[in-house]
Amino acid sequence: MADQYLQYILNGIISGGMLALPAVAFSLLYGILRFPNFAIGTYITAGGFIAYAANVTLKLPIPIAFVIAMLLCGFLGVGVDQLAFRPMRQRRPLTLAIVSIGVSFILENIARFIWGNELKSYNLPVLRGMEFGGLRIGKEQLVILFVSLVFMVLVQFLLKFTRLGKAMRAVSDNAMLASVKGIDSEGIILRTSFLGAALTGAAGVMVGIDTSIDPLMGSKLILSIFAAAILGGIGSATTAVGGAFFVGLAEEISTIWLPATYKSAIGFAMIVLILLFRPAGLFRRTRVI
Amino acid sequence: MINYLIAILTFVLIYAILALGLNVQWGYTGLVNLGHVGFFAVGAYTSALLAKLGLPFFFSLAAAILLAAFFGSLLALTTLRLKEDFLAIVTLGFSEILRLFLLNEDWLTGGANGIIAIPRPLWNHFTKHYDLFYLALLVAVLILLFLFLERLRSSPYGRMLRAIREDEIVAATAGKNVFRSKVQAFTLGAALAGLAGVFYAHYLSYIAPEMFIPLVSINVWVALIAGGSGNNKGAILGAFVLMGFLEGTRFLKDFIPFLTGFRLAAVREILVGLFLILLMIYRQEGVLPEEKILS
Repeated sequence: MADQYLQYILNGIISGGMLALPAVAFSLLYGILRFPNFAIGTYITAGGFIAYAANVTLKLPIPIAFVIAMLLCGFLGVGVDQLAFRPMRQRRPLTLAIVSIGVSFILENIARFIWGNELKSYNLPVLRGMEFGGLRIGKEQLVILFVSLVFMVLVQFLLKFTRLGKAMRAVSDNAMLASVKGIDSEGIILRTSFLGAALTGAAGVMVGIDTSIDPLMGSKLILSIFAAAILGGIGSATTAVGGAFFVGLAEEISTIWLPATYKSAIGFAMIVLILLFRPAGLFRRTRVI
Repeated sequence: MINYLIAILTFVLIYAILALGLNVQWGYTGLVNLGHVGFFAVGAYTSALLAKLGLPFFFSLAAAILLAAFFGSLLALTTLRLKEDFLAIVTLGFSEILRLFLLNEDWLTGGANGIIAIPRPLWNHFTKHYDLFYLALLVAVLILLFLFLERLRSSPYGRMLRAIREDEIVAATAGKNVFRSKVQAFTLGAALAGLAGVFYAHYLSYIAPEMFIPLVSINVWVALIAGGSGNNKGAILGAFVLMGFLEGTRFLKDFIPFLTGFRLAAVREILVGLFLILLMIYRQEGVLPEEKILS
């Protein structure tokens, strides 16, 4: 019985690992652009399908497909920003949020147009799962978790120690002051759009490996991603990781009592509760203005 | 051909009621609601289930509107203090969770199969020209709603809602109860969506969760913004524009040979998304901008 609970916790850690990169991306983008970007969900779908095209159609090995998916998703993020968001920089956040929903409809349906609605999967060697004292875990899942952790560390390193990261944090803290100090905010937006979409695309490949690829794979996760980012304290890329593991664990553990289809309801409930009672996130006190 | 026109007009009028509801929330009061389809679904399912139990139409209609209003006020009471961009997330999330509920609770909603054979009101009296009768009924409902909402708009209450939309701090300083008025406006909008749901369910006599996807909310937004938010005539005109657009794209398949099935559906959704973005960027005031009222 105790083993069974440990299994849920293990599953929660793995899904937390997959939510972490999109949650970090959401926070980075929110920090710079100040609106909730619904298009994040479709970057997951885009990553999943681009890697599918590379891996299954072009018969490339999955690590190469993964890199291609990240890069192309990055460019997709830049393209979306330039075409849809750039004309509206001065508008209020809600308008941009609605535009991002329009973007996600377009991208999701481009995927549907090309690849159809059926579930797809990568061409991977079948690996035998491992067992530790009754706990089951797939080798792919271990690799996914590891790769995801590596990227989390890299992003933290980028934010803390590089010029670009410092500039990103400066724009996120106070865009006006940053531009007074000569930081080129459009350049920062371009780089952040690339980074955010590339990280999310990477998560898309991971989700595709762990489950399957279909046009709705991203929008199914969007509530959980928002929940993770909001739980972590919106706009903070570091604590978004904590939020992601919290949401992943809560969703998996909820399946003990609830049908698995209600997982995203858990994410939704957490969004509402946290926004109402701790709007600065789980890990910070509310700032009093 | 005439039957096709009647069917299209029926859908236009149902969308017009939805757009009028969103207009009270967004157009009058500036409250974002991306989960309009959720209240539409509450109305449709409530009325359908009660009618299947044998209750008369007007009873199931009233119950459906009340329940949609109840859900609206509940969501508004808990979340309207949020910043509007987060309200967007929460309202969209609400409609998705509701759809999950409809999909999973087979014992109540029939799950993915939905509800079939929903009785049509006064079916026995109008078997011959029933669809025409139904359309006339909808026209009557829409006219009454329009008159009521126009009256509301030019009343002091409507002026207060607009004041809240423009600057809620000023409205609060002028002694208006901003939060209560916002909850009321949101509730009224949700009730109207519920009413639209009732007419939708009893017209099709079949409903299923797949009809209540976020695309419907987006369609209503497109209709309202294209027509002119804040303007009731605009909301109704927008429903015509939207339906013209959606039906017009149906004929794309006559010109492009490979456009069938899921591909056609995908192209239509791409066009709706594109239309929404272009409206937001270039013409947020719509075809019929809000009329100035001097008072």
